[in-house]
Amino acid sequence: MDSFDAIVVGSGPAATFAAVGLSGRRVLMLDVGFDAPRDSHLRGNLYDLKQTQDDLFEPLIGQQFESLHNLHQPAISLKLKSPYMSYIARDARRLTPIVGDPFGGVVSLARGGLANAWGAGVFRYTDRDLAGFPITAADLAPAFDEVTARMGVSGVNGDDLEQYFERDDRLQPPIRLSSIFDDMLHRYERAKENFRKARVAIGRSRLAVITEPRDGRSPYAYENLEFFRPHDPGIYTPAYTVNELIASGAIEYRDRRLVLRYVERDEVVEVEARNLDSGAIEVSRARMLCLAAGALNTTRIVLASNGDYETRLPLLDNPMACIPLLDLSRIGGALQTRDTSLAQLNLVAEEEGGRLAQGSMYGTTGPLRSDFLFELPLSARGNRVWAKYVAPATAFLMLFYSRDPDPWSSVQLRASGELDVRLAPEPPHALEAVLIRLFRRIGFVSHGAMIQRPPMGSALHFAGTLPMSVQPRRYHTDRDGRLAGTTRVHIVDGACLPRLPAKNATLTIMANALRIGRHLAATLA
Amino acid sequence: MTDLAAEARYLHAALFAQEVDPAIVERYVDAHRRLFAGEPPSPLVATIIERRLDAEAIEYALRRRKAGRELTRKFQILCYLAEARAAYQHEFFNRKERRGGAILALVAAAMRSAWKLVKGEALARRHGLL
Repeated sequence: MDSFDAIVVGSGPAATFAAVGLSGRRVLMLDVGFDAPRDSHLRGNLYDLKQTQDDLFEPLIGQQFESLHNLHQPAISLKLKSPYMSYIARDARRLTPIVGDPFGGVVSLARGGLANAWGAGVFRYTDRDLAGFPITAADLAPAFDEVTARMGVSGVNGDDLEQYFERDDRLQPPIRLSSIFDDMLHRYERAKENFRKARVAIGRSRLAVITEPRDGRSPYAYENLEFFRPHDPGIYTPAYTVNELIASGAIEYRDRRLVLRYVERDEVVEVEARNLDSGAIEVSRARMLCLAAGALNTTRIVLASNGDYETRLPLLDNPMACIPLLDLSRIGGALQTRDTSLAQLNLVAEEEGGRLAQGSMYGTTGPLRSDFLFELPLSARGNRVWAKYVAPATAFLMLFYSRDPDPWSSVQLRASGELDVRLAPEPPHALEAVLIRLFRRIGFVSHGAMIQRPPMGSALHFAGTLPMSVQPRRYHTDRDGRLAGTTRVHIVDGACLPRLPAKNATLTIMANALRIGRHLAATLA
Repeated sequence: MTDLAAEARYLHAALFAQEVDPAIVERYVDAHRRLFAGEPPSPLVATIIERRLDAEAIEYALRRRKAGRELTRKFQILCYLAEARAAYQHEFFNRKERRGGAILALVAAAMRSAWKLVKGEALARRHGLL
């Protein structure tokens, strides 16, 4: 049986940076690791292709009708269902079943995890965000710098969001705004006093997207293919770093392994994984184990290892509300074909009680029109007219709210192997009416009745099941992610976050995993 | 399967003014074979086609009542298949500035939708589709 210094489970954002932190040690990465199809024949701009290619059935709909997924299966994110992107959620429901109603979530067993389809928004947690954590922003600062340097981040310093996002002197120039968001930002600047009084600030997004060449990657090219083409070179995904670690020999990577459980022995921890090709159970040994399979699957492994089918552990995910904002003066405007479906602007709002809400603003050029045609208010043909002329005049503000543990939101492993997930619904926030009023003042119309509330779990920001605490008790972790009652098991993904601020946690999870990885590397030395 | 092809042609005519693309009919049938093989035929859709009723009007009326899900789904399938074809791009996207034309088109679409709603309600009641 092989023996390693450390085993890292998974290959998403946390696993990747835990492995980076463990560099210099003998590291085994165990992963299911489904990869993108090799023959994704999609080059150029989506809207040029739509005009020049007679038939885009294969890349847009798929020989297996992958894009029709939400018509016959529980709905998943539009970014996860197109033919070349569907590998990201491939077989996750079969191999790692989750039950819960209503539950809009999904997990990934792909190399790079759900971050293969992420919005690439990167936000540093500040000390304000880290209230209740046993670590501070100063503990994370070196890791934040190292992660952002490795990924490449674009954005601006000095705008109204700097106080929330913090200064970063290594930013590349921000992505180009499409005209609707350029207009929105200018109008905001002119009406800023109204927004300031309401404690709302708007500014440019911070994205793990490069706008200048870097490390052999070409800059983002505004091809509108984020929903259809994996591995856009301009958008960072942890899969790039995993591939580098494999190529450099920094890790031994074994894919098609589904980790089931671990057992601690005197000097080592043994990890059992099912080989998905042979069906055999394989056992690997190491001095340390870093669980980073994503909060839900990490929790599954911990509970299975304890044979615990009774305990309900807390679960967090950011509640969401989606507010459409319509600029009437743009109705009938021409489609912008050199555009992006990434978040172009961000918004931070302070709610009563001082809690922050974070918003990301998106255009409509990314998904297929057919994805939302029948959500519109007119008859089928009328909706097509609406989509043709009104969609380019519409922006979507996706609001994310913070979440603390509550008695209902929890997860339990059933003896049948399913994770039973519950997430308490979020009531509407007064902030939504405030935002609608503010945006109306700058020419963007909306109404409370138009707000969409995706089912809980749709944010895919699962966290909080095995929280870090100062005095860890059972199923808690210490500040270095070590699981209480174990000596060699470390939780390095979102499972160890004790609460979930409104800001997307991915960058903080990466930085925390890197910090823990470095700590373990030093311990192992 | 001939029935599904006829169904595709009939529903396509309700959605689009142009002649149906044979590839869309073929894929519509294939999508049903692959994704909905276990589902029994929809009496609602069968009635609409057999009696040559206004499918767009009935779909709209039922959708407003959160009913007729299978009919909406068939419309959606046709829209997805059409959106992947170059010949249908003008149905979904506007590539030129058409401010005035867009307003007129939207007003016409709203008035037409109102008429379709009334008609769909009446048809659904008369033919027992509710």
